[in-house]
Amino acid sequence: MESILGNGPEGGKLTNEFYYSLVTMHGTILVFFVLTAGLSGTFANLLIPYQIGARDMASGFLNMLSYWFFFTSGVVMLASLFIQTGPASGGWTMYPPVNGMSNVAVNQGSGLGTDLWIFSMALFIVSSLLGGLNYIATILNLRTKGMSMFKMPLTVWALLFTAILGVLGFPALLAAVVLMEFDRLLDTSFYLSNIVLNGQLMDYKGGSPILYQHLFWFLGHPEVYIIIVPAMGLVSEILSVNSRKPIFGYRAMVIAIGVIVCLGFLVWAHHMFVTGMNPFIGSIFVLFTLLIAVPSAVKVFNWITTIWRGNLRLTPAMLFAIGFVSMFISGGLTGIFLGNSTVDIPLHDTYFVVAHFHIVMGVAAFFGMFAGVYHWFPKMFGRFINDTLGYIHFFVTIVCAYAIFFPMHFMLSLPRRYYIYTNFQTFQGLEDISKFISVFAIISFLAQLLFVVNIIYSAFKGREMTNDARNPWGSNTLEWTTPVEHFHGNWHGELPEVHRWPYDYSNGFGKEDFRPQTLPLEPGEEAH
Amino acid sequence: MATLITIAVLILLYIVLIQVGKTVEKVRELRGESGDYEKSGNINATLMMVFLVLFFAGIVYSAIYMWPKLLPASASDHGLKIEALFNLTLLLTGIVFIITHILLFWFTYIYRQQKGRKAYFFAHNSTLELVWSAIPAVTMAILVVWGIKVWFEIFPNHDDLPKNRIVIEATGKQFNWLIRYPGKDGVLGRRLITKENVSPTNELGIDFSDPASHDDFFASEIHMVKDRPVEFLLGALDVLHSFYLPHMRLKMDCVPGVPTGLSFTPIRSNDDTRDLLKENPDWQKIDPETNEPRWKNFKYELACAELCGKSHYGMQMNVFVESQKEYDAWMNAQKPIYAGAAKADTAATAVTPETMEMGKDSTVAPAKEAGNAVEASTANAKH
Ligand code: HEM
Ligand SMILES: [Cu+2]
Ligand SMILES: [Cu+2]
Repeated sequence: MESILGNGPEGGKLTNEFYYSLVTMHGTILVFFVLTAGLSGTFANLLIPYQIGARDMASGFLNMLSYWFFFTSGVVMLASLFIQTGPASGGWTMYPPVNGMSNVAVNQGSGLGTDLWIFSMALFIVSSLLGGLNYIATILNLRTKGMSMFKMPLTVWALLFTAILGVLGFPALLAAVVLMEFDRLLDTSFYLSNIVLNGQLMDYKGGSPILYQHLFWFLGHPEVYIIIVPAMGLVSEILSVNSRKPIFGYRAMVIAIGVIVCLGFLVWAHHMFVTGMNPFIGSIFVLFTLLIAVPSAVKVFNWITTIWRGNLRLTPAMLFAIGFVSMFISGGLTGIFLGNSTVDIPLHDTYFVVAHFHIVMGVAAFFGMFAGVYHWFPKMFGRFINDTLGYIHFFVTIVCAYAIFFPMHFMLSLPRRYYIYTNFQTFQGLEDISKFISVFAIISFLAQLLFVVNIIYSAFKGREMTNDARNPWGSNTLEWTTPVEHFHGNWHGELPEVHRWPYDYSNGFGKEDFRPQTLPLEPGEEAH
Repeated sequence: MATLITIAVLILLYIVLIQVGKTVEKVRELRGESGDYEKSGNINATLMMVFLVLFFAGIVYSAIYMWPKLLPASASDHGLKIEALFNLTLLLTGIVFIITHILLFWFTYIYRQQKGRKAYFFAHNSTLELVWSAIPAVTMAILVVWGIKVWFEIFPNHDDLPKNRIVIEATGKQFNWLIRYPGKDGVLGRRLITKENVSPTNELGIDFSDPASHDDFFASEIHMVKDRPVEFLLGALDVLHSFYLPHMRLKMDCVPGVPTGLSFTPIRSNDDTRDLLKENPDWQKIDPETNEPRWKNFKYELACAELCGKSHYGMQMNVFVESQKEYDAWMNAQKPIYAGAAKADTAATAVTPETMEMGKDSTVAPAKEAGNAVEASTANAKH
């Protein structure tokens, strides 16, 4: 171990500057490139056409453009790892002034690395906007015959709301980073004023670093919902199918996401309670922030009621969906501490926040994504993913995730983004948790490797799905009516016609416990 | 070598796991059980219950284990109120956490797939949905009202601050704090932020033509008087910093160009907290450096809580809450800045203790950089 890592921070191989670079890349890549792109990017393109009965997305051209912008953006971001001064190092939030001035090399990474970060983000935002517009256009225009809005699966609703969040939110981030680049390149003063460096007053006048934070979080908060809402959609679908029960409170679920989306745009300043903002404004943001707990709670209760008195088929996807609900509860509840500005004063920018958002966004969203991959794997590859490896993956991951992030709440006094904390007497005594967490983090990583191995193995060698058994989960939604092999157009011949909502499971009609959406209503059968 | 062995073992582990997965699937296929989740469901549902029990046990254990390592009781008046609200939130969310988790995992267990079980078609129920919208709404209303009430107590109108308060200016810079006390007159000298007035010897741009500035002094530690209100005027020279006093449960960002502030009353002196910690098993441990129980050398600390550059974590400063008498004695021993500005030598002596303090405290190499930054600024002051 020592030969790889060196001996702790003293004499370790990881310098402070490189540590900050890694943390920044970690946050940026996971939030934007993995969770945003991996959930709404991939599942939207897979599931929207399938589940609404469309032959393709509305604009193939936008789709392609979105993909290549994303690709380029990823290349630029990763390329910054290899430049001499290292990648950006200001944290994924990249606040000015520390990142907003290029003439002072504050950290190594605040040189070219930051410019590349900004450039990459700009490309990413363009990609998201193009993708989002395409999703909205497809969902609104290309639904098959009979597929009214309230006959859409919750997955599609979730992806629609996600796209709306992105289209309204991302432009603010674009403005934020472009203005920062102006400050850096053209010496404008959008975010800078009264800066004294090396005893010299700089020329910047009249800007405010707080302005950047407003712009950043105007996207930043909706961004966390951009990540979690698609996961909520996937999980709702998976819980219902595998419980053999309708999702409880379908309309309430749709309305809850709608309310979350609206309120999501009114709470951004809860990330800025201690920036010295007017306390009155702070109090308004407390109100809206804690209001969001209400639709969130409704969703949780509805999920729990969905599995109540079901006939639960515990596939790996189902286990991850249940794990998602657990994570969303645990992390959402700590949001209630943070959303109350008073309690946020000591907690802001400490490990309590790190624990909060990793559980509710990091782990929960990953669980949603895993659930989605396990569930739709046969649809993607025409083969089943190996269940046994899936179970091992699930149990190791949930144990590790809680072992990592639950004890982290006890580090509530420790500021985040500390390279070393043993130089403070106050924080000595937290080393035990640090070590405990590190051990479980490594184990957890090994379990994720197993998942990757499983995907590769099963995609080539897994049990095959045949066209006669093309609906393995006994699902009502349209994607399981298409043939196993992939071709452009999704359905041979006519597009399917939809007659009912997607959640008629175990409604007492028919021999099976599911009623595909293409099945006309029988006399006596209730429309929902 | 060790690395190679580890990698080999890991590869072997994955191969074994894949073989196990493959075999289980083959066996199930031969038995015609593919796609049947009943048997594996029994195992998985049991494991879920085991997980729940372990999870709850782990929470209790970690809470007991961590209890002595948490911060000692709040040392400020606001901190007490914040803690009370924290505890109420903990109680309410704790109840919700326990109930929802028991339901979630219990349902997973008892409703696992079984022959002959029929799922209950239950699509919606307005009463239920109304009830569980109303309960969180009411709970949130209580938290919002209480929270906002305390919030305004922590940030009152500036005119309502107590008159007997000590005013202290704290300015963050990379990677150090400039702490300016008003001196005997209790008034901080004016600052004039102009190109002419700001200089390496006068980074704050103190306007020495203001007589109030003549007895202002820089401190290398923060001193406060127990039970006497303080007001910190906060700012930053270069980038964002955040003025964080963990024991007071308070923090406030320091923003270049935008003044902020924080006021409170320290209610527990260093000695008071030391007495508390005497009873704490974690603080009774012997500190290998001093060979004394850890509590003997307890001190409050100031930290930076906003990423401000590569030595962000090095912005440590000691904080003392003491009696008025001790405070006066300390204050009398400080040298004003003004004399220093006129005579370069005195300036150096006025700031040197700070350099030593920081240099000595940073036991780890990179933190020394923070110390070096201070040395650099002292060197500037000598010019
Ligand atoms: C009941 C619901 C929630 C409330 C009241 C809430 C509240 C908050 C607050 C007030 C903060 C700022 C804390 C601070 O920096 O001092 C925060 C941070 C954060 N929250 Fe939540 N939250 C909730 C749910 C969520 C969800 C669902 C997600 C994501 C899926 C999320 C992701 C995050 C992230 C990523 C941060 C940290 C951002 C950063 O500073 O780097 N939160 N939350
Ligand atoms: Cu937020
Ligand atoms: Cu800092």
